[in-house]
Amino acid sequence: MFNYDSQIKTKRLDWPLVFALIGLCLIGFLTILSAVSGMSEMSTLIRTHLIALPVSVAAFMFGWLFNYQIYAEHYKKLYAFVILLLVAVLAFGIVARGSNSWFRVGILSFQPAELCRIALIVITSAFLASRPRQIKSFKTLAIFALFILPVFALIMKQPDFSSIVVTAPALLILLFVAGVNTYYFVLIMAFGIMAVVFPILWTYFGLYPDIADGSFILTWLNSLSLNMISGLIFSAGILIFFILGWYILKYFRLFVPFSLVFILALSIVGGFYSGYFVNKHIKPYQRKRVEAFLAPTADPKGASYNVLQAQIAMGSGGVLGKGFFSGTQSRLGFVPERHTDFILAILGEEGGLLGTLSVLALYIIILWRIILIAQSASDLFGYLLCTGIFAIFFVYMAFNFGMLIGIVPVAGIPLPFISYGGSNLVSSMWALGLVESVYFRRVSLV
Amino acid sequence: MKIKSNFTNRRLTGMFILALLCGALIAYRLIFIQFISHQKYTSQAERNRTQILYQTAPRGRILAQGGEVIASNQAAFSLYYLPPFDMPEDSILTEMAQKISKNTFKPQKEILNILRKSLKNGKAYLLADNLAPNNVFALAELQNFYPGLYLLEETKRYYPMGTFAAHLTGYIGIMERHAWKELSGELDYRLNSKIGKSGIEKRYEKLLKGSDGGLFLEVNSKGRVTKIMKDNRWRKGADVYTTLLAPVQKAAEDAIKNSLTGKGAAVVLDVKSGAVLAMVSLPDFDPNIFTPYSTNKNDESKIRIPEYNLAIQGLFPPASTFKTITALAAYENGHLDIHHEENCTGHIYQNGREFKCWKQHGPHIDFMEGMSQSCDTYFYNLGLKTGPYNIEKMQRKFRFGRKTGIDLPGEKSGNIYGPTKRAALKTYWFGGDTLNLSIGQGELLLTPIQMAVYAAALASKGKIWRPYYIKEIISPSGKILEEGKSELVEQVQLKKGAFELIHKALKNVVDNATGRGAKIKDIAVYGKTGTAQNPHGDDHGWFLAFAGEEGQEPEIALSVLIQFGKGGGAQAAPAARKIIKAYFDLKHNNAAPVKKQV
Repeated sequence: MFNYDSQIKTKRLDWPLVFALIGLCLIGFLTILSAVSGMSEMSTLIRTHLIALPVSVAAFMFGWLFNYQIYAEHYKKLYAFVILLLVAVLAFGIVARGSNSWFRVGILSFQPAELCRIALIVITSAFLASRPRQIKSFKTLAIFALFILPVFALIMKQPDFSSIVVTAPALLILLFVAGVNTYYFVLIMAFGIMAVVFPILWTYFGLYPDIADGSFILTWLNSLSLNMISGLIFSAGILIFFILGWYILKYFRLFVPFSLVFILALSIVGGFYSGYFVNKHIKPYQRKRVEAFLAPTADPKGASYNVLQAQIAMGSGGVLGKGFFSGTQSRLGFVPERHTDFILAILGEEGGLLGTLSVLALYIIILWRIILIAQSASDLFGYLLCTGIFAIFFVYMAFNFGMLIGIVPVAGIPLPFISYGGSNLVSSMWALGLVESVYFRRVSLV
Repeated sequence: MKIKSNFTNRRLTGMFILALLCGALIAYRLIFIQFISHQKYTSQAERNRTQILYQTAPRGRILAQGGEVIASNQAAFSLYYLPPFDMPEDSILTEMAQKISKNTFKPQKEILNILRKSLKNGKAYLLADNLAPNNVFALAELQNFYPGLYLLEETKRYYPMGTFAAHLTGYIGIMERHAWKELSGELDYRLNSKIGKSGIEKRYEKLLKGSDGGLFLEVNSKGRVTKIMKDNRWRKGADVYTTLLAPVQKAAEDAIKNSLTGKGAAVVLDVKSGAVLAMVSLPDFDPNIFTPYSTNKNDESKIRIPEYNLAIQGLFPPASTFKTITALAAYENGHLDIHHEENCTGHIYQNGREFKCWKQHGPHIDFMEGMSQSCDTYFYNLGLKTGPYNIEKMQRKFRFGRKTGIDLPGEKSGNIYGPTKRAALKTYWFGGDTLNLSIGQGELLLTPIQMAVYAAALASKGKIWRPYYIKEIISPSGKILEEGKSELVEQVQLKKGAFELIHKALKNVVDNATGRGAKIKDIAVYGKTGTAQNPHGDDHGWFLAFAGEEGQEPEIALSVLIQFGKGGGAQAAPAARKIIKAYFDLKHNNAAPVKKQV
């Protein structure tokens, strides 16, 4: 018989995860110190970080020691709390850096959206775990969409674009792993791809008008963005194509429900119109970022300046780096947002390849441990919770590193534990605390 | 201890594999940026953080053979403003601008604008350059009162002897854009660098230019100066020693300047090597006008100078000096009987056309007389006897119509005149052409330097040298970078006695006749005058000469051309005399003081 008692006593904490976490926090602390030195608000920033560190440790302890299963019972209340928080921040929050997303209590300010990201994962996992047999059903997906849209709408209202950029893919991963019907997933992906690809395509044509010349198809695709009628013809064409496809399949005795094909076609058309809408309403600075991503060297003093300077900083660091507190690129202010989104550039310049690869390795270790813990969970909720948190850190890692190395557009996404930012640190620590809580309670004695 | 798996899911494993792939891609890109492209990014980071104030290096000097300095350098200062971190008050700026303006000859408003711009952009800006040392004392004092002012010592070109050999030395000026493209690859040229525009300054630009020094400033992302990192000293350019003999050059310049029109050219060559001892082209210019100190009345852009170097670019008919060729051609082909006499009636008729002699010389004109009196009638007849083909052949022997090959840009080749040439041009040769040819009028054109090379060939009995003007080029460390070499282009082979006959005839010209103006006591001067007809104005006066100690080989050969000087005998010969005298005076007073100017 297995001795659960001794196991519980000795392994309440997954130490590799904790060590990786401590390593990241140390590197982060050092890099932040180096990044902010010389800034005019240096002392405020260091003080805030020094306050945030113990608070985040407390958040971790809370997440770890508090039984995560309690969230599953009260996820509706948690959802109400999130909505309340987001409404309150719109009503009473203060505006900082162009978005109304901060609460201020005394000398401390706090960004509820950071907390909401983790809370949304908790809520979604709890919701899915509460309907284990209906995960594949359309109704589950519809309810999920219904409760998630108000939250996104409120976050967009702030506006906090980067929160959506991180949360949406993380939720998709969570849905995917939870086992949502592949067909629905295809629908969502088709919608999303259409909504993203067309604005990018049109931006690209805007950058290089010549490539459309001489190609009928490219010219026509370009005209879709300008001409309502071509857009209608395009959508009608897609519908007809799918319906014809269905008839052909039927002719060959391959019976596919008509509704499936029709809904897929509708979702593609819907995605196209969302893309059309996005293209019309995208802010100039956001289009600039997309352009900078599509053609980074076209305008080195313009939109891609930041990424280029960050890469110069990292590249000039070499393998071993220039040593902490002695990077010229960062010290002289060439790297923008050097203590938040672009902090890896500072680490790359001062700590070299050694520094950046260490952070990458520590992140991979954390992701690996979260996967292991997810698989050891004692219930579906714990499993889904870990999956969601894995997804969120995966997205953070991919976007923040990706932005620096030029494979993802700049979207203002920090790197948890390394970037400066108290709210992000606290909520990230809480998230890992939740994972440890799942680990702590992996063995059900009931 | 292994964690017990309660949940296994292909999709989650797939996600983890995706994360690993993502990590691998990131790691690959990081290695690419930080390891493989490290050098590229390092230099970019370095460029990002530095702003350089360049310090123009002194150009190498240009000197005459005796060490007389033709081109050197003077200290010139540049005033920069390195914006301090604390913004000075506006009243202080105005006060500063006023005081700077007083010492830099720039309007106060302009100075104030630069100061403001500098503060706004946080970059170092040039307030004024080319400042003379006497202005600088006051500015140096201002440095103590106003932080940020920075005086940088530079140099500027200075030509101590002014117009001396200006056409050969050349001048410098701000380079054109296309020149920058050509040069910037090799040396540290900047868009506002001054480069040699003509003559030696242009030809030896790369050696004369040293390497500029610079002040490396560290700047931040906004370009604001944070500190001075290092101060590189300049390296001086190499000194160019020419073969010019300063007194001879000076005498030649003065002689032509003091002639009837003051316009013309002279080239003096060393008969034994082809070295250029003097080269004059007038009108000339003072190259200093391109490199002045800042004063309140500078306007460099509108300067026009006579850049045309008559000595290598001016084309003139050789006129009577060509009679030596006719005589040599006749002698070579056995048509010259020096005792044969002609009767000069002042003109002869050919195909019904009248060809005049410049004077009615009367009867009994033999070869010596014909040459010394420059009797056209004698040479008309000699030319008719010899035939145009032979005369043309003789021109070719002495390389008429071909560049002398002096290493200067823009040399003209002149042209040959004769029936073969005509045939090549697909026109006809008429009888009258032979007459014109034999006295050197018509289509034949020579440059003064070709004439001098020809004179040297006559003097050295057939040695055609390639003229050169560089004695040596010495780097600041004392290494000889380049050495002038005498180069024999051709040895003209003529029948025995031909040169001796010409020597005798030309000596007779100077001793007894048209060339008397060039006669010098104890010096054997050989010469031939010429008067080139000029349809556009007064005739040009030529004098071709060579000279040596009495009873010895000739040492120098020269050509003098007085533009619009009417006659060779009256104007060019006395000028040549002064030049020859200056040479032999210099030679005889070998111990004479050679003034060293630095």
